[in-house]
Amino acid sequence: MTTTEVLNALTSKGIISNKQADTIHSFEADKAFSIHWELRSILYLGILLFTSGLGILIYENIDTIGHQAIIALIAILMVICFWYTYKHRVPFSLDEVHNPNKFVSYTLLIGCMLFLALEGYLQFQYTLFGTKYGAAVLLPTLLFFVTAYRFDHTGVLSMAITGLASWLGLTIAPLSVIAKSDFTDGRLVWSATLLGVLLVAFAWISNLKSWKAHFANTYLLLGGNLAFIATLAGAFTMEPLFVFFLFGITLAVFFILSARRVHSLLFLLMGIVYGYVHVTYLLAKLVGNELVFGLATVYFTFSSIGVILFLLNYKKFLGIKR
Amino acid sequence: MMKAYNNLWVQNKYIKQTAHEWFRKNLLTASQLEAVNANFTSEFYRPGIFVTIGLFCFGLLSCAFFGGFVSIFFIGEGSDATLSLLSLFCAACFTSALEVLIRERKLFHSGVDNALLYAALLSASTPVFLLFESAPAGVYCIVTLLFLIPSVLRYADLFVTTAAFFVLLILVGSTFIGFPLGKALLPFILMIVAAGIYYSVRKNNDIYYLKCQQIVEALSLAVFYVCGNYFVVREGNAMLNDLPVSAEISFSYLFYFLTAAIPAAYIYFGLKKHDRILFVTGLLGIVASVFTYRMYFFELPLSQELTIAGALLIVLAAALISYLKTPRHGISDQPGKRRRFANLEAILVAESLGDLPADPGVKFGGGNFGGGGAGEAY
Repeated sequence: MTTTEVLNALTSKGIISNKQADTIHSFEADKAFSIHWELRSILYLGILLFTSGLGILIYENIDTIGHQAIIALIAILMVICFWYTYKHRVPFSLDEVHNPNKFVSYTLLIGCMLFLALEGYLQFQYTLFGTKYGAAVLLPTLLFFVTAYRFDHTGVLSMAITGLASWLGLTIAPLSVIAKSDFTDGRLVWSATLLGVLLVAFAWISNLKSWKAHFANTYLLLGGNLAFIATLAGAFTMEPLFVFFLFGITLAVFFILSARRVHSLLFLLMGIVYGYVHVTYLLAKLVGNELVFGLATVYFTFSSIGVILFLLNYKKFLGIKR
Repeated sequence: MMKAYNNLWVQNKYIKQTAHEWFRKNLLTASQLEAVNANFTSEFYRPGIFVTIGLFCFGLLSCAFFGGFVSIFFIGEGSDATLSLLSLFCAACFTSALEVLIRERKLFHSGVDNALLYAALLSASTPVFLLFESAPAGVYCIVTLLFLIPSVLRYADLFVTTAAFFVLLILVGSTFIGFPLGKALLPFILMIVAAGIYYSVRKNNDIYYLKCQQIVEALSLAVFYVCGNYFVVREGNAMLNDLPVSAEISFSYLFYFLTAAIPAAYIYFGLKKHDRILFVTGLLGIVASVFTYRMYFFELPLSQELTIAGALLIVLAAALISYLKTPRHGISDQPGKRRRFANLEAILVAESLGDLPADPGVKFGGGNFGGGGAGEAY
């Protein structure tokens, strides 16, 4: 269907005049081809390659370059990045802020990464923090939280949340939660659950009080994943099963209900999938090993059809009008 | 009734989208947009990407276990004939469920219908593989295409289209690979086929198949490039002739030229004709060409390569961004359509960069130089 055909459809219904159709047609014919996102992707890729390459390069040549020179270089680059970000700042607001400058979000991100590099370096070489590793992790976390809020950057915010979790000895990024966290340690399961719940609660408060309400999704996503996986790990490996089940199900219901409030169906999906796993596991436990295999096909066939029916009608169930 | 989904609604959906774009550019007034929305209705159930994913996963789950559930009632110890019968029965069930759901629930690529379609195709083609044992690959391809092509025409599904495209290529490839001359000319034959497919789908003006057209365009451009790529031809040649080491190929200069020229041509024509598919395929082609060049002619340590490549990309992108502050040559740097995956970026950042030194028991490693992906190995 070409532009002309769309315009014909509109004029035939009398929605636009022929003159307006001509204007739109010539606009479509003359409009420039935007390569905005392609250029941004190239820039991002370049930053990623450059910083990785530089990191390895420096690491390989530490002996010849000398530590002071490298530290000075990283520090200078970092200061330049933060200075540029600060110079082009826009006034702080609790709402979402759009910075007209195109480079600020990138310089902020590089600056934060360089800060990590610098700190890691100082600790590695001069054991700046001694054995107080907690302080070493907490410092960048605090910096990232402050800069994320001040300059309105969700990327830095997720780095900050990650830092907060590392401070508790956890990893939080969605995939590495499963890959890297060792959930056989009971203490870790509990702290992961609590941190996850706290993050989710903070997301709720952010939304309620409009403290950077658009940050809520980042908190929900990272915190929710952590809490769900921790409760699942708890239910699978630890006693009492019911406590973790209740935690998980409450969270799942909260996520399903909050999908409506934050206008993101990702949370509906998370709630349903994690909730489904919880319920399935509990049922399998209750039924016992002998019967599980016999009933599995029937259970999965009908329960998944049930979930499909729920998803097809979720607007009705959740009372969403549109 | 060739099209499963309501064709008028598909058209109306497209008209509404276009009108909305025009409204965002102030070419239409708000009241005109309202009139468009009122006049061109489409009642498809489109629940958004995440619910679609959920519907798709649970759809596949229920299809898989439905098969298991039904197999309880098929007595007989899994002979080929009973299995074939079982899968045909499942295919019939899935297809009727698909048709009913599309009609009653007004689905339109909403996850469940995709899952049902794939399950139906899979179970419909299972008997083919069970009954024709050790037939030549071409036979399987032709029979599968007999299922795939009607499904593409009826349901216009992207994944099925992709599958049909590759099965067609495998058919061509496996036919020509049997002859010595065909083996030698295989890259050229595949390039001709890809070009033929590209130009024939370009003729399509039916909005119903727009997405399928786009994906076939991208795939055939990619195949056209890959078949002219020096690395692919050289290594492929070695593989087909069972050479232990890949040797220099005949017409090597032609393939050097094609490796460099095809992406450049894609980018040039993409920019000139405002064709994003051409342009992006060209960009990806450049990356592949750089890798090809590096493979045979260029040896630097990884760290230096990364640094140089990264610096070049940053300089290039920054230079173009500032050059295009005002649109030139019909190219601009204005954010065109709204970004759809703004949140995704934050997740990716957390995934690749956000690994702070996690374990207090381990000494601070040197691998933390902000490296995306550089952390572990060093």
